[in-house]
Amino acid sequence: MSRGKLKALGLDLPLLPTTAVGSYPKPPELLEARIQFQRGAISRDRLEELERRATEFWIRTQEELGMDVLVDGEMYRGDMVAYFAERLPGFEIGGLVRSYGNRYYHKPIIVGPVEWPGPMTVRWWQFAQSLTDRPVKGMLTGPYTMMDWSFNEYYPDRKSAVLALARAIHREVEALIEAGARIIQIDEPATSVRPDELPIMVEAMEVVLDGLRDRAYFVTHMCYGNFEAVYPDMLKSPVDNFDLEMSNSGLDMLEHFRRHPYTKDISVGVVDVHTHVVEDVDTVERRIRAALEVLRPEQVWVDPDCGLKTRQVDEAIGKLRVIVEATRRVRRDLQASGPSA
Amino acid sequence: MEALWPVIHSNYPRIGDSPEEQKLRRAIADWEQKRIGDDELRQVEDEVARQVIAEQERAGLAIVSDGMVRWYCPFSHLARKLANVQIDGLLRYFDTNFYFRQPVVSGPVQWKEPILLREFTVAQAAATRPVKVVLTGPYTMARYSIVQTPLYLGRIERLTEDYAVAWAREVRQLVQAGLSWLQVEEPALLHHPQDAPIVATALEILAENKGPARLALALYWGDIEPLWSHIQRWPVDMLVLDFTYSPRLLDVIAASGSAKPLGLGLIDGRNTKLEDPAEVLRRLDRLAPRLEGTHHLTTSCGLELLPRDRARAKIERVARIAESFAGGRR
Repeated sequence: MSRGKLKALGLDLPLLPTTAVGSYPKPPELLEARIQFQRGAISRDRLEELERRATEFWIRTQEELGMDVLVDGEMYRGDMVAYFAERLPGFEIGGLVRSYGNRYYHKPIIVGPVEWPGPMTVRWWQFAQSLTDRPVKGMLTGPYTMMDWSFNEYYPDRKSAVLALARAIHREVEALIEAGARIIQIDEPATSVRPDELPIMVEAMEVVLDGLRDRAYFVTHMCYGNFEAVYPDMLKSPVDNFDLEMSNSGLDMLEHFRRHPYTKDISVGVVDVHTHVVEDVDTVERRIRAALEVLRPEQVWVDPDCGLKTRQVDEAIGKLRVIVEATRRVRRDLQASGPSA
Repeated sequence: MEALWPVIHSNYPRIGDSPEEQKLRRAIADWEQKRIGDDELRQVEDEVARQVIAEQERAGLAIVSDGMVRWYCPFSHLARKLANVQIDGLLRYFDTNFYFRQPVVSGPVQWKEPILLREFTVAQAAATRPVKVVLTGPYTMARYSIVQTPLYLGRIERLTEDYAVAWAREVRQLVQAGLSWLQVEEPALLHHPQDAPIVATALEILAENKGPARLALALYWGDIEPLWSHIQRWPVDMLVLDFTYSPRLLDVIAASGSAKPLGLGLIDGRNTKLEDPAEVLRRLDRLAPRLEGTHHLTTSCGLELLPRDRARAKIERVARIAESFAGGRR
């Protein structure tokens, strides 16, 4: 559906573009450096040097693997919400809260009016893009998820908080576009949390993309939720591509797509990021082919279920490798059989 | 209302932000990497449970819990010890940013070994006040289970009943060990109110097996008001209610009272903002004339979704408000 838009933006991608959701595991020396920085034992410059080195490692790795659309791996971020909350006036960072098992995050607290403080991600996007000729996605957390994953002690209700955040994130999207980003991912994993609030998410995304829709290709990542509760209404969001975790949930969304045709582009999660086991190529190939039974090849991108930051470096690389290899197999068959109807 | 006890709702943050408060996190990571064994992990879990109990007692709570600090999630901690139940992938827990592992049912659900008994005895030995034990309700267990056996396909009432029978076995063991407060949590009911009769049947099974222990039903994260008349008739000794999702519930109870003692969840367990005690006291004053006997003041839900320092502040506020309420009535 949006291949024309991609071409108009100067992006000539193959069928079934391979990409990643955003985060990669931080190498051990960077993890240690982050601890040392928190203790005041190393300088900000030293930490950033290691973050740059790790970013370069992941850009080179993705190129070597043959991925089509790259991410910077978020070497400079801890948590996807906290990173922005640490920079947006109006937030303070709260204590640790459990997300699952033995995983915790610093849940932010909205304590005052939220405002855009100037570019928060542009410099890192520019650095990552300077390392490669392949497109690098701009990566942001969406306003609904920012609100839902924060405590709110300031705004009178959830919608007011979301719309204030949307106005701030709109400015960041504008800054990324002005810097040259042509693919921008705005993650909304909280979308399906309260299906009755889907209209708020859609309204907020309209604010975020207001006046910018033709200037970049927009992706929204969603994961580990009750997608069927918000499908097909989620298609009202003005983004071009939904990036969905599908392997962990046994590709069950495909059944919903059979009943109600999926109309946008989609990034299909074909490896589970919550297991140490690296899937074999045949398994991933089967998942891609299953998706193509209900989706047109022109709609489909291929990537992991979610960010890979919780895996070991070699596991993450292994999962990316099988994605690329499986996609190549399917792509070869599609090219051999000619254009789809 | 004759008395208002400040009590814990259920879970409590297992870690805090100080290095000392993170020892369980470190121990679990070490255990996962096989740097420590089961016994060492258990030792740290017990120590943290005792600290959590002491924290609740210091705050002034009259009934405490071990914070459920050993639980991976509300489902897998219980389901992993049942026959014919395995544990699957992650799914978001209601409208939170917390993820649980789904039970997968491949045959008849059956109790096969004690699940919470050891944890309860450790807690009971550490506490100077009654210890509440929490069970994820049979219906909520069933609603979020993946069914892989024809036995339960399209038959949630049968699966709920079998979970209830399994829990009844567990409850009998706990009661023999001295359990006095059992809380069964059924948040899923509020999202599927049409299944109220299924929950009622499951509660009857538990009520028949609870002996002298008091059985509380906790409902949270949804609107309770449409079910109010039903749950007033159910075979439980207390209804623990989340007022934050039920905009009309206070008015309903202020108008009609309650046939059962209530756990009044008037303190928001999901947001860090601390309640104004005067405002909570005003709400209690509206309820008091229509409530007889002893009731509990608590948070709207468990506190695990708050940072530890804020959870501590919340239970201190629960205790302070209950004390002010008692003082005002004297």
